[in-house]
Amino acid sequence: MADSTLPVDRPMELPGDLPGEQPGFTWLETLHTWVTTVDHKKLGLMYIGYALIFLLVAGVEALLMRVQLMVANNHFLSPEVYNRLFTMHGTTMVFLVGMPFIIGFANYLVPLMIGARDMALPRLNAFSFWMTALGGFFLYYSFLGAVGLQGAGSAPDTTWWGYAPLTERAFSRGHTMDYWALALVMSGIGTIGAAVNVIATVFCMRCKGMTLFRMPLLVWLNLTTAGLILVTISPLTAAQIMLLIDRYLGGHFFDSQAGGSPVLWFHFFWIFGHPEVYVLVLPAFAIANEVIPTFSRKAIFGYPAMVAASAGIAFISLGVWAHHMFTVGMSAPGNAFFVLSTGLVGVPTGIKIFNWIATMWGGKIRFTVSMMFAVAFVAQFLLAGLTGIMLSMAPWNWQLHDTYFVVAHFHYVLVGAIVFCIFSGLYYWFPKMTGKLLSERLGKWHFWLFVLGFHMTFDFMHIPGLLGMPRWIYTYQPGFGWEKWNILVGVGAFVQGIAILLFSFNMVRSYLKGAEAGPDPWDAWTLEWATSSPPPPYNFAIEPVVASRRPLWDQKHPEDPDWRYE
Amino acid sequence: MSSHEERPEAPDGFVALPAPTAWPLVLAFGLLLIFLGVVTSAAISLLGLVLAVSGGIGWFGEVLPQERHELISMEAHEFAPKSTYRAVSRIHIDAQHRAHLPVTTPSVTAGLKGGVAGGIAMIVPATLYGLIAFHSFWYAVNLLGGAGVADWTNPTMAQITHFRLSALVTAAVIHAALSLLVGLLYGATLPMLPRHPILLGGLFAPLLWTGVLHASLSLINPFLDQKIHWVWFVVSQIAFGMVAGWVVAKQAHIRTQQYLPFAARVGLETPGLIAERHQEGLDQRTESGEEGR
Repeated sequence: MADSTLPVDRPMELPGDLPGEQPGFTWLETLHTWVTTVDHKKLGLMYIGYALIFLLVAGVEALLMRVQLMVANNHFLSPEVYNRLFTMHGTTMVFLVGMPFIIGFANYLVPLMIGARDMALPRLNAFSFWMTALGGFFLYYSFLGAVGLQGAGSAPDTTWWGYAPLTERAFSRGHTMDYWALALVMSGIGTIGAAVNVIATVFCMRCKGMTLFRMPLLVWLNLTTAGLILVTISPLTAAQIMLLIDRYLGGHFFDSQAGGSPVLWFHFFWIFGHPEVYVLVLPAFAIANEVIPTFSRKAIFGYPAMVAASAGIAFISLGVWAHHMFTVGMSAPGNAFFVLSTGLVGVPTGIKIFNWIATMWGGKIRFTVSMMFAVAFVAQFLLAGLTGIMLSMAPWNWQLHDTYFVVAHFHYVLVGAIVFCIFSGLYYWFPKMTGKLLSERLGKWHFWLFVLGFHMTFDFMHIPGLLGMPRWIYTYQPGFGWEKWNILVGVGAFVQGIAILLFSFNMVRSYLKGAEAGPDPWDAWTLEWATSSPPPPYNFAIEPVVASRRPLWDQKHPEDPDWRYE
Repeated sequence: MSSHEERPEAPDGFVALPAPTAWPLVLAFGLLLIFLGVVTSAAISLLGLVLAVSGGIGWFGEVLPQERHELISMEAHEFAPKSTYRAVSRIHIDAQHRAHLPVTTPSVTAGLKGGVAGGIAMIVPATLYGLIAFHSFWYAVNLLGGAGVADWTNPTMAQITHFRLSALVTAAVIHAALSLLVGLLYGATLPMLPRHPILLGGLFAPLLWTGVLHASLSLINPFLDQKIHWVWFVVSQIAFGMVAGWVVAKQAHIRTQQYLPFAARVGLETPGLIAERHQEGLDQRTESGEEGR
């Protein structure tokens, strides 16, 4: 058995060592260190900061839409602006919030958790970040530069999945869709670079003793996600290039009047689009996999099953895309295949939910804010999965396709699962990233307000969907029974907005005045807690040596180390 | 896992890390301008190309012929992790714990018998409702047998309360198939319900599926939704559940494969294993219980 001692380090605070963090350096010098950095931790923080900024932007877009829908026959927004807002909200949340968050966490945590000093390809890492970041700014520049039918101030307006053939030049004049397609190509290049880097890092940079089956589950899930990204971003990029060929070179891939097929676009997009849900949710699971055991004071239940379930979800997710297309008129065997394959996702997902519950069972649970978000995630993800199973049934889907029931379902996944896990992860690793603890008192206000707002918004959003309210409509006539539900949904959205503002305040205040975290504030077991908070540029002065999945447990409990049982 | 060794040797107290560089940003910005030129002007794309090529060349210069590193000073010291929880406790699982798994199960025929008995039992309240409310023996049969669907849309009340052969045949097939399938399901699931299997399977399960049906039938078939009297419907479902559950529970149970050792369950060739384990009086349950942490 390998030596289980774990020598770690503290940086010498010499002048010139950490220029960005030393007094006496101008803000330009500080900015220079961040702009030119190839350090995985700084890049991870930049990803997360970038995602937080766009979370606020997308949140404002959502609030504007909810104001518009709170009453019938409202003219707060014009139909054109409303179309742009829901397109930009969706695109932003998926590509500029969800992806940067998960890549940011992976960047920051994967090297630390496997005992490495950096990512395998640090310059590619910087390039990937800048491609993603510039792609986002490029997309938003369309508000200024994309002169469409409506003149200046235009922006993409054909839904976040580019509803073909609306995206063709005949229906989308100007350059709005070009900005959309090119921005996604740019951020796609960045995402693929990040995925390659995660895979190379996991396979090449693990410290001594860190076998694949001793890696923390967060690392396993990010490895799985990286593999999934490589497979799924490619068809999206191909489709965007085909769209640009249609728009610029007279191609007809998606032009039904010239022999093309919009359904081809649907296939290309959803071959990317549905696995994308798992690209976002697997790293969210990864956060829960670390938070729940730490605050239950128990090792994760069923580690091998969790790894297998993650790989299973990734694999199955590649064969379910056409459940987004039941209404296009597929053949009966086609419908049956995608109903069954979609239902199959429930098996590995169910394994995960049972294992999280089994991890908590009998544990000495500490309800920190991070744990509260993780527990809420488990319950809400279960509900999201149940409505997902309902929508995976073709006849049910025919009834409810493109209604607010679908919107409520996927927001239950994207907010109820992914955003909740991101908050859980931020409360958990903020002390490691900054050296300061987030205020638990403000955090509990944030949690309860966000839970209240989330359930007001997305529980009640199912009902107008069942009553037939279509998505994408900018206003509606009174008398359909939708008004009261839309008022509740709108109020809930504002409660969520207040919660997120409170969280932003908590982050700033805690960073400036928060309590010192120390290297290991949660009494945790993975390697990132074996170095100072924040970690020095080199992470570990001496390469760690591990002998089990919980190296710090072995250190803290030498009388009962894990390696005896693994 | 060799990357650490590939880095150049650093003097004592220092570590060599990849040097900061702006070239990746220059390359990314060049690509941005190339894309921006597509929607604005070719001149911007040209500028972007120049920047991108410069960025690429600069990047190559960073890694060839040797990767550029910077020295960062460091100080190693021992980290002594401590836990606020000194005691390690174990979750004790008694030997009977796994009895909640279906170590025994009714045979397939028990499920079928339960389904048949339950199916007959639920006919009574369903028919009773038709007789009391509409003075008709055929009301429930016709509803189940296709009233309101396919070629029998919007039937009158007179049609629903009178005999119709196609409806009888359809209803009989549906009722028999569903009764047998649900009976089989009871046979498989009742042993997993640790306590009060008849109560859970006979009362709660029918209430659950009736609730789901009640909530969704207005979407699936509004006609049927209007014609069903839900109180009587619940009574007939509970009649099915109680009778089917009781019949299944009373049948002789057979052992499941949970009694077999793991190697035998996964199909490994283990000659003599089962006999040996019986002789030694070992039980797979106690083994796994001892090793659980």
